[in-house]
Amino acid sequence: MSLKPTIGIETHIELNTNTKMFCRCAVVDTDEPNISLCPTCIGLPGALPVPNKKAIEFITLLALSTGCEITSKGMFHRKNYFYPDLPKNYQISQFDLPVGLNGELEIVIDENKDYIQIERVHMEEDTGKSSHSGSGRIESATSTALDFNRSGVPLVEIVTKPVISSSKQAVAYIEELRQLSIDLNISEGRLEKGNLRFDANISVALEDSNELGTKVEIKNMNSLRSLERAIDFEIQRQTKALEDGVEIVQETRHWDENKEVTSTMRSKEGSADYRYFSDPDLPNMFLSDEFIKEVETLMPLLPKAQREELMTTGLSLSQSNILSKSDDWIKKLYVKVFDQTKDSVASYNWITGELQGQMRKANIEVLPEWFNDDYLSEIIELIKSNKISFTSAKIILTEILTAETTPSKVAEQKNLFQENDSEKISEMINQIIKENQDIVDRIKSGEDKLVGFLVGQLMKQSNGSVNPGMAKELLLKELEG
Amino acid sequence: MDVSHLSIREINSLFTKKEIKPSELYSKVFENAANSEAALHAHLTLFEEENIKKAAEADKRFSNSESASLLDGIPIAIKDNINIKNYKTTCSSKMLSNYTSPYDATVIEKLKQQNTLFTGKTNLDEFAMGSSTENSAFGLTKNPWNTDYVPGGSSGGSAASVGARSSIAALGSDTGGSIRQPASFCGLVGFKPTYGTVSRFGLVAFASSLDQIGPITKTVDDSRIIFSSISGEDSRDATSVINNQLDIPSDNTATIGVIKELMEDGISGEAKNEVNKVIEILKSKGYKVKEISIPIIKLSISIYYLIAPAECSANLARFDGVRYGLRVDGNTSYEMMENTRAEGFGAEVKRRILLGTYALSAGYYDEYYGKALQARKEMIDEFAKTFKDVDYLISPTTPTQAFKSGEKTSNPLEMYMSDLCTIPANLAGLPAISIPTGLSKDELPLGVQIMSKPLSDNSLLDFSEIIENEVQFDGQPKGWL
Repeated sequence: MSLKPTIGIETHIELNTNTKMFCRCAVVDTDEPNISLCPTCIGLPGALPVPNKKAIEFITLLALSTGCEITSKGMFHRKNYFYPDLPKNYQISQFDLPVGLNGELEIVIDENKDYIQIERVHMEEDTGKSSHSGSGRIESATSTALDFNRSGVPLVEIVTKPVISSSKQAVAYIEELRQLSIDLNISEGRLEKGNLRFDANISVALEDSNELGTKVEIKNMNSLRSLERAIDFEIQRQTKALEDGVEIVQETRHWDENKEVTSTMRSKEGSADYRYFSDPDLPNMFLSDEFIKEVETLMPLLPKAQREELMTTGLSLSQSNILSKSDDWIKKLYVKVFDQTKDSVASYNWITGELQGQMRKANIEVLPEWFNDDYLSEIIELIKSNKISFTSAKIILTEILTAETTPSKVAEQKNLFQENDSEKISEMINQIIKENQDIVDRIKSGEDKLVGFLVGQLMKQSNGSVNPGMAKELLLKELEG
Repeated sequence: MDVSHLSIREINSLFTKKEIKPSELYSKVFENAANSEAALHAHLTLFEEENIKKAAEADKRFSNSESASLLDGIPIAIKDNINIKNYKTTCSSKMLSNYTSPYDATVIEKLKQQNTLFTGKTNLDEFAMGSSTENSAFGLTKNPWNTDYVPGGSSGGSAASVGARSSIAALGSDTGGSIRQPASFCGLVGFKPTYGTVSRFGLVAFASSLDQIGPITKTVDDSRIIFSSISGEDSRDATSVINNQLDIPSDNTATIGVIKELMEDGISGEAKNEVNKVIEILKSKGYKVKEISIPIIKLSISIYYLIAPAECSANLARFDGVRYGLRVDGNTSYEMMENTRAEGFGAEVKRRILLGTYALSAGYYDEYYGKALQARKEMIDEFAKTFKDVDYLISPTTPTQAFKSGEKTSNPLEMYMSDLCTIPANLAGLPAISIPTGLSKDELPLGVQIMSKPLSDNSLLDFSEIIENEVQFDGQPKGWL
């Protein structure tokens, strides 16, 4: 039996507006509960919602950036369901007239591009937060504490068509969406804070079938690791069920991080009746052509275009992709260093490899003030002109990350400039040969490995200042001669 | 000197001339309340003590000739579904019997700026659902003209309060006639402004697309004064509109339409006589009067009893015992919510929530709510067409005089029919006013209703004042004054 999985993803992105979606309460990032509330966001009698223009601008920006058609006459709907952390017991959302429809997002896996079709981009308000004690579920909790700071925070929901076929694709899609939201400056994009949360709809069907299998929804994941593992688990579970002839039930499942399994949350989700109707408190929302044009002027260079630009410098697609998903200062540094050195590989390797590696090790998040962008170019040029060795370059980098100095100053102080004069090197080699005649004999009788020992001796005696490539070459010549 | 029977402008003039002090009038209205309250039960709470100081401040302003407002020192009663900061807002429901509002409705803020004195909160049908003020969890209100009869509803407490002169004017809310019908039953002027001209912020929502706050007063001019004080665009209500008033003629160049469908079966002879009496007066003054037909008006009650319950089913979902109001415990949070709602809401409220929930349910939406929306749109179009031919529309306000307490409580459908003439203005968002014109053979007041196109409120008031002056209705409820 040849089976294929089909996955659709719904992602909620928390927008980084200053105030909430329908009131003027500040959006706060704190553990102290219930400090940013008003009659509207806790659903007091008589309070009314007024839309946040900035949030609508952000959602329009996201819809435009994914190539969606914009619904100029959008509408807010009420989604009715009872839950203690939903103050009005309905959520203001969008239904049949979302801000954006039918878009597409380019994703990258290794050296390949792929395109994920977007069904819709719409706005909704977040709920409050429940903390259940005695149990993780409200049904069996002994008590539940409610925090409404999050209630009414604007969210944008992006729904893909059922076009994703693997966990790898799903992860690449979320990585792309996350970066897009950061570049658009509409979200912090911090997964660990729940800025992005995703639900995956997964079904498995026969390879040659035109119909999708029964779908199962996995709710509320906020890490790429969970997404990947939950999808893989669910594909395996459903595949096995189909192979064993067991019927798959349409249901909502919960991903258990610790046990690494999915389990039933509630079945027949498909029959939940939210009784959507247009919110009479919020008259039709018109997105005028002028408004859309205004939003378009805010459009930054998108990750896809960034990759294309980076590839023109000579980077591969996957390298360009990694850079496009790096912090802004890294992207900028790359462009600068490449401009100066015209060496894309060295620029890329030094920035994404050594520099970021050393910073991580030293626990530095931002470059020190004195760190001049030109320093990396200088280091690369020094290596290329054989003035320093790669090892010395690493030492130099460590120094300039910890103290206010420059690459050439460090090289000079630490005596890291390489000896490139072949006569001088030959003199030193002769000396080494004299001192290690026994080793030389053994090499001559076939113990080639010992060449390295002699090079090492040379480096030691020269305090590492000899160009190791030249040293080896000259040494071999000498031994042969 | 008792001035409680005078109009606001007359009273203000006496205040200004220092012939009477605001505090004297203030004491007088509470004396009236003391005499009538036991028999009428117009109020749920009276604020006498709290506002004595404010009355004294008003005295000072007038004695120093510092008052700038027509409403300064005027005692006004407020329907108990409008929030006044730090006072209870019960909506005549057990659900909110212990609820104190932490904020002022926009209309209250505006009246406070005018130095109005609030006398108390008036009784209503629970959450403004009803036509007789018999659906109150705190006991029914009686008609000041004859206590065997209902005062109408849902703003029956406000009408009874003004009728018994326990206040000079009152605020009510009108979703399907809840200002105009009780005003008519109590021999008063009741004005429902154009939808959106008065902010709904702070009015506990029944049906958001229909609700509108307005005055119940003794004279048209009193309604005009209050309307001009409470109207205006509000940034906290997305449905509020800029009050750009249209100027339509009120003199005898105006054309008056008599709505055929509201002069047919189901309308009592007495109610029709009042309309005909006014038509004769208008004709004699040179107005052009013609019969017009708006067939869709016959569907008003059907449309209304789908749209209003649908909206209320969501609007009242917030009353769940979680954050405020009544809480009846249960074993789980859902059981608590169920128990709270079962005990907190009265029969009529439950009936409408069920009706609305049903009308919005999957599979029924198109058949019921969807069709009602469509019919409502047709009605709006029909009115717009009609107003190309006529400037004002005249009809009875109610099909009959006030009915007896208990007469219709067992037959909800019959009760709903009493709003036949008033509902169309809510569905179409039109300004509409009820003016008292005469008495029935049972010595109970009767009124006529005038409607005009949206945003012609001021012209409608001017035209109504002409009728008021011609009719010279001077009936007074006996026994209380």
